[in-house]
Amino acid sequence: MVDRRLAWLAGIVLIWGAAIFFNIIWLQVVHHQEYAKLATERQVVAVDIPAPRGTIFDRTGQPLAMSVPTESVSIDPLRAPDLGVASELLALVLHLDRTALYGKMKWAHDNHHGFLWVKRKISYEEGQNLRNLRLEWIHIQDESQRHYPKGTLAAHVLGSVDFEEKGNAGIEQVLDTELRGQPGQARMLTDVKRRGIDSQSAADMKPGTPLTLTIDERIQFVAEREIAAAVEAHHAQSGSVVVMNPYNGEIFALASYPTYDPNLPPQPGEDKAGRLNHAISVPFEPGSVFKVITLSAALETTDLQPASMINCGHGAITLFGRTIHEAHTGYGTIPMAMVLAKSSNVGAIQIGMRVGQANMHQYVRKFGFGQKSGISLPGESAGKVRQLARWSKASLPSMSMGQEISVTTLQLAQAGAVIANGGLLVKPRLISKKGNQTVPVEQPVRVLKPETAITMRQMMEGVVMPGGTGTRARLQGYTSGGKTGSAQIYDPVAKHYTHSYNGSFMGFAPLTNPAMVAVVTLNGTHGTAGFGGLAAAPVFHAVITEALRVLEVPKDLPDETPTRTQVASNEEAGDLAIADIGRGQPNILEDGDDEEQPAAGQAERPSGVPAQPAGPTVPNFRGMTMRAVLAEAAAKGLTVLPDGSGVARVQYPPPGSTLHQGERIRVEFAR
Amino acid sequence: MATLPAFFRRTNETGYPALSPIKPERDPFQLRALPQEDVLFYCKRIDNSRLVREPDPQARGACWSAIGAACFLLVVLTSVLVPNVASTLAGYKLQALRVEERQLLYEKRTLELEEAELLTPQRLETLAQGQNLVAPFPGQVVRLNAKGDSAVAMVK
Repeated sequence: MVDRRLAWLAGIVLIWGAAIFFNIIWLQVVHHQEYAKLATERQVVAVDIPAPRGTIFDRTGQPLAMSVPTESVSIDPLRAPDLGVASELLALVLHLDRTALYGKMKWAHDNHHGFLWVKRKISYEEGQNLRNLRLEWIHIQDESQRHYPKGTLAAHVLGSVDFEEKGNAGIEQVLDTELRGQPGQARMLTDVKRRGIDSQSAADMKPGTPLTLTIDERIQFVAEREIAAAVEAHHAQSGSVVVMNPYNGEIFALASYPTYDPNLPPQPGEDKAGRLNHAISVPFEPGSVFKVITLSAALETTDLQPASMINCGHGAITLFGRTIHEAHTGYGTIPMAMVLAKSSNVGAIQIGMRVGQANMHQYVRKFGFGQKSGISLPGESAGKVRQLARWSKASLPSMSMGQEISVTTLQLAQAGAVIANGGLLVKPRLISKKGNQTVPVEQPVRVLKPETAITMRQMMEGVVMPGGTGTRARLQGYTSGGKTGSAQIYDPVAKHYTHSYNGSFMGFAPLTNPAMVAVVTLNGTHGTAGFGGLAAAPVFHAVITEALRVLEVPKDLPDETPTRTQVASNEEAGDLAIADIGRGQPNILEDGDDEEQPAAGQAERPSGVPAQPAGPTVPNFRGMTMRAVLAEAAAKGLTVLPDGSGVARVQYPPPGSTLHQGERIRVEFAR
Repeated sequence: MATLPAFFRRTNETGYPALSPIKPERDPFQLRALPQEDVLFYCKRIDNSRLVREPDPQARGACWSAIGAACFLLVVLTSVLVPNVASTLAGYKLQALRVEERQLLYEKRTLELEEAELLTPQRLETLAQGQNLVAPFPGQVVRLNAKGDSAVAMVK
């Protein structure tokens, strides 16, 4: 009896074991792949590892743009058990409108959409609260949010990003690939409570490359502050400033006004002008600033020298049947250096005519006009330079004064750098380092002979000296040079020049070995106060003074207060290129310039206006020792600023020119 | 009185009718006897003091073999299971550390952002103006170990 029972028991156990064994074989062998796949789907979670976008620093290491990790919430509406409860829960945790959220969830559910963004870029606390809910139909994705901690500072340089952190302006757009990096992915094994146990990297994450700009935030700030104040003060439409190292093209500051806050997305109906980089994207007729190019070409291609006498026709010149005149003061025969200092239109035309069309066109192109500089910013304008074959007879004299050509502020800075660095065209650069790698400087191209560039520098110093058109750009403790420009703005609708002006100033400091070049442009100024010498030169003065201090450039003049003109003199107020050819007359050559006041219907001005103010004549010191120079100067009651040692090689103003009251003679000595 | 084996043996041999106990006349007011009430057990004292275990030289070896096998099995199981358990526990810890790392990274970046915002030139200028501070003139600040871009710019 017992044996039978035991036999039954053993049989049952055997069958039970066999059933288990069979089931194990069934699960583990026959249906292995099917169940393994199901297990993997439930236990292994693919986790995206976002690549943090590279930080953008200024040249001193201050962060200008940086990304902070954040999270975004999405749901699977098809798996949510009750849309009403789900929307109420999410609205409570994420501080959303419950009704709107329910509408979106219902729409997604009805349209069988298994994915719905609920809220992007949530706070850390919101993320933690959601995680604590442990609801499998709520997905939390790691993301990052771009911040521009300095607000509007360098907004046009940095640009901005869209909601997906893709650059849509500025450097963010141009170098989006480097900044963006490459997101990675990991496969994480989770337990029943969806807690991670183990993870394996499926694709390595590559963070975005940090960029170091050549921008200095201190100089950038001053440039933006000053241009904003100038635009407001002169009721201009816009303004821009470029400060640049003339030797390697590094941009210290690139400011444009109006500006915007890149932290804020574009609003509907927002004025697009605020997001336009006026320094590189908006070309304009430069006016008298362009005479620097004319005179440089003349020094290179003709036998003209700073002391060469130019007949300014007492303020009028007749070309191709039309008479062009200075608007303010006529000059007789004056040295070429004086033509620049006084910004004589007639003198510039005379010089330009001697240069010739081919040479002029060649040098305009060599200075980089009519072509993009290649700076790492989107939307750069090449400006406009007509092909030589399309030049009319009037083109050469017009271009000699800065008309019939359009340039950008950056192109002017590039051209100014040619004068400042000894004749080399450098490519402007904004990126100093990519990660730890220094971006190499491109080889500059020679445009002018070094002696030509030095001569131009000396002549440009005359512009900021008393009697010049840019005295407000004169610096304390530093020598400087520059050129003012004021050009009437052409109205393409009315087909004539208006009484709005582009006031500009291009300059550099110190004179003998310039550490920086700066160009200031104010677009759409009104009245005399909006001319370059009055509106743009003070901005140059403020910006360059701060930049020289920040970069600790040694002074090259003794400390003294320069005799600054507080009331606009004729020279400063006359810094205008009048281009109004008047009532439908097509001749572009009736541009007035830096010495003229705009006057509607202005007739030909009678000649015979006193050409030059009376003053002592500058003696010729060349070849003399310092002792002899000082002795002769003392005997004639002149003030000399000696520089160097040996015998006098270069002097400014040149011999024979008239010395204005308070003006000093700079003499450079060399062995 | 009988022992259990004796009892079972007897029941097997005699069959059911023989097993029925002799029941005395019962007082109707007495409770009914419990089943097997008449079976009495007693402890039989057995003296095994004279028994001597036969020496078995292989038993000790078998015992040690069993102990060794058990220990080996324990070691094998431990070496197989412990890493898995440790790995699982480490995974939990790693995941917790990752969450902590993410939180610390978030706090670090937030602090860096806050620092950068505090050092904004606009803010510094406002603070300086509030304290009647002015920017120094060029050359007014003298650094003992000067190192600036100007040196580079001037040499080039």
